[in-house]
Amino acid sequence: MTSGLRNRLLVLLVLPLCLLALVGGWLDYRSADEAASQHDQRLLRLLPALADSVVAPPLHAGEPPLLLLAPPIEDFLRQRAGYAGYSVMDDAGRVVAGNAWVTGMAPKTQAAEFHSLEYGGVTYRVAVQRGRTAGAGEMVVALADGSDPRQQWAQQMLLRMLLPNLVLLAAAALAIHWAVRKAFQPLLDLAEAVERRSPRDLSPIDEAASPSEVRPLVHSLNHLFALVNAQADGQRRFVADAAHQLRTPLAGLQAQVEAWALMAQAAAHAHHGFEPNRPPAQEGRAQGAIVLGVEQVEKLRDATRRTSQLAHQLLALSRADARSLDAQPMQRLDLKDLCEQLLETFLDPATGKGLDLGLDARPVHVTGHGWLLRELLSNLVDNAIKYTPADGAVTIRCGLRSVSRGVQRAFLQVEDDGPGIPEAEHAHVMERFYRVPGSAGEGTGLGLAIADEIARVHRATLTLGRNAQGQGLVATLVFAE
Amino acid sequence: MRLLLVEDDVMLASGIKLGLTDAGYAVDWVGSGERAQEVLLAESFDAAIIDIGLPAMDGLELTRRLRRPGMANPAMPVLILTARDALHDRVQGLDWGADDYMVKPYELPELLARLRALLRRSQAATSAVLSFGPIELDTAGRRASVRTGDAAGQTLELGPREWTVLEYLLIHAPKPASKDKLLQALTGWDKEITPNAVEVYVSRLRGKLEPHGVALRSIRGFGYRLELRATPGEP
Repeated sequence: MTSGLRNRLLVLLVLPLCLLALVGGWLDYRSADEAASQHDQRLLRLLPALADSVVAPPLHAGEPPLLLLAPPIEDFLRQRAGYAGYSVMDDAGRVVAGNAWVTGMAPKTQAAEFHSLEYGGVTYRVAVQRGRTAGAGEMVVALADGSDPRQQWAQQMLLRMLLPNLVLLAAAALAIHWAVRKAFQPLLDLAEAVERRSPRDLSPIDEAASPSEVRPLVHSLNHLFALVNAQADGQRRFVADAAHQLRTPLAGLQAQVEAWALMAQAAAHAHHGFEPNRPPAQEGRAQGAIVLGVEQVEKLRDATRRTSQLAHQLLALSRADARSLDAQPMQRLDLKDLCEQLLETFLDPATGKGLDLGLDARPVHVTGHGWLLRELLSNLVDNAIKYTPADGAVTIRCGLRSVSRGVQRAFLQVEDDGPGIPEAEHAHVMERFYRVPGSAGEGTGLGLAIADEIARVHRATLTLGRNAQGQGLVATLVFAE
Repeated sequence: MRLLLVEDDVMLASGIKLGLTDAGYAVDWVGSGERAQEVLLAESFDAAIIDIGLPAMDGLELTRRLRRPGMANPAMPVLILTARDALHDRVQGLDWGADDYMVKPYELPELLARLRALLRRSQAATSAVLSFGPIELDTAGRRASVRTGDAAGQTLELGPREWTVLEYLLIHAPKPASKDKLLQALTGWDKEITPNAVEVYVSRLRGKLEPHGVALRSIRGFGYRLELRATPGEP
């Protein structure tokens, strides 16, 4: 996420730096130019002295004229030993005295002319002037100076200007890269913090911990979290309210139908030779009443029980949500006591179905929400009883188990020897309203989803497996502490 | 048996009333705690079924008030109806004088069973006779008997430890009794008693009860429970 910003910052900062380097170079060149023109002036001033050094014409034709170097020239040559030279030329531009390499076009006028000359790897600035000599009439004199700043500037350009600037630029780029990464660390942290969030945890991010530039972003994020939270809350409240509102009329409906079912059963027992599918009597028809058989009433009762159960489970699910539980403190709970209560509750349904419901409870305590753990366990036991065929066994267990060397954790377990759940379905059965394809019984598809949700609230893990014989279903809840 | 039903939801109340009436109880139904209090000042009931979620005076407050002296029957057994997610209500309800509770959604057969147990316990407390099916235990006269038809009971010969076990089971029936508790009840007789000994007494008792249609079911890992067989076994 920062690479774009980092590159932008890099370009934005390096471009002005390049510009600054160019300006610096130009200024450097300007000062070199100025020095060079001063240099030229100096050469110009020396030229008459050189002209004065030619004191006599040559004794013989073809020989150099007699030279007696004036002190300024001597000084000049001595100071720049190896980087200076002079020559005296005749009208045609032939060097008649001095250094033969110091050449140049003889100027037509008296005005001095300047040019550059390459000799022995050194670039010289050469000043040439036609002028009267002290003793040999009009001649052309030339002075060459290899210490010309303009020439040196070009040479040293690479070393003195370009290289340091490049090094500086590279260093600046690295520094920017590092600084930007450092400066963006809070943003990265923020991104990570947001990424770590689950839909269950939308608590606001600490604004004070973020740098002031990022704070508006954090503030907006928190605002968004609050909105999402409010919406989720609203939805959960709606489900809870709807389930709660449904529960009362459903309880009424159930009470009515339960009473009819009991009455129908009693009537069926009293009626000799009764067939369940046939209406027990027809006499009601005349009063505009209909007559239902026992089996029909029982079907109606079972459907009502199931609907009632569904409303109850929806309510439990919406209440098991971690966010709505923050207000309620957890309590110390006796799991053995809970298992015994559940055994008592489910003894009749189990016995009625011909199941052996048993207990294997060791004393153990956990911290949790009592009604939720009861709900969890009752969903597990209810499932076990529902899906285990007659003559099967269901066992409720609790106690301590070793999870690693020396570490013991409280656990709750319900084991049955029914058909079990194929391994591939284990993840799915925890989903809301999911039912294993082809499963019998009259589940709502919410039992395990509720159990899983409650496990999460208690930071416990709910796992499904087979029993020691590789059969049935074993649902185990292992607590975290 | 005359029962008082305190429930504000008409549909629920009429359903419960229908079921209870069908089961042979006389049911008086009131829709509020205030009305229930008035009725209870003047009249006596054998038991009350009270919904916790009543408007104005709630079921807990009513339960607390009907235990006050001055009520027609302050010892009347009370069964409270509560939502399963309101567990603290249940604990508080039992603290405030309710005898048992049922969580919604409940099934009518279970409500009837609980009510029967409640009435039986309340009678046992006053009459000193514990009964379950045809079995009767006269704790005052220390006589155990089996009712057969309309005739007076046939005496059941029980050893003192068997008596203790049966008494304990009868007090708790139809709820199961834990083996640990039975063991505690028996330690009054023997200082050193082993779980195996409990099994011995239970198995002897089982032999004496089975011919009369009463089963003593073992509950794996927990204890025992008295159950009526659907068809009484032939002696």
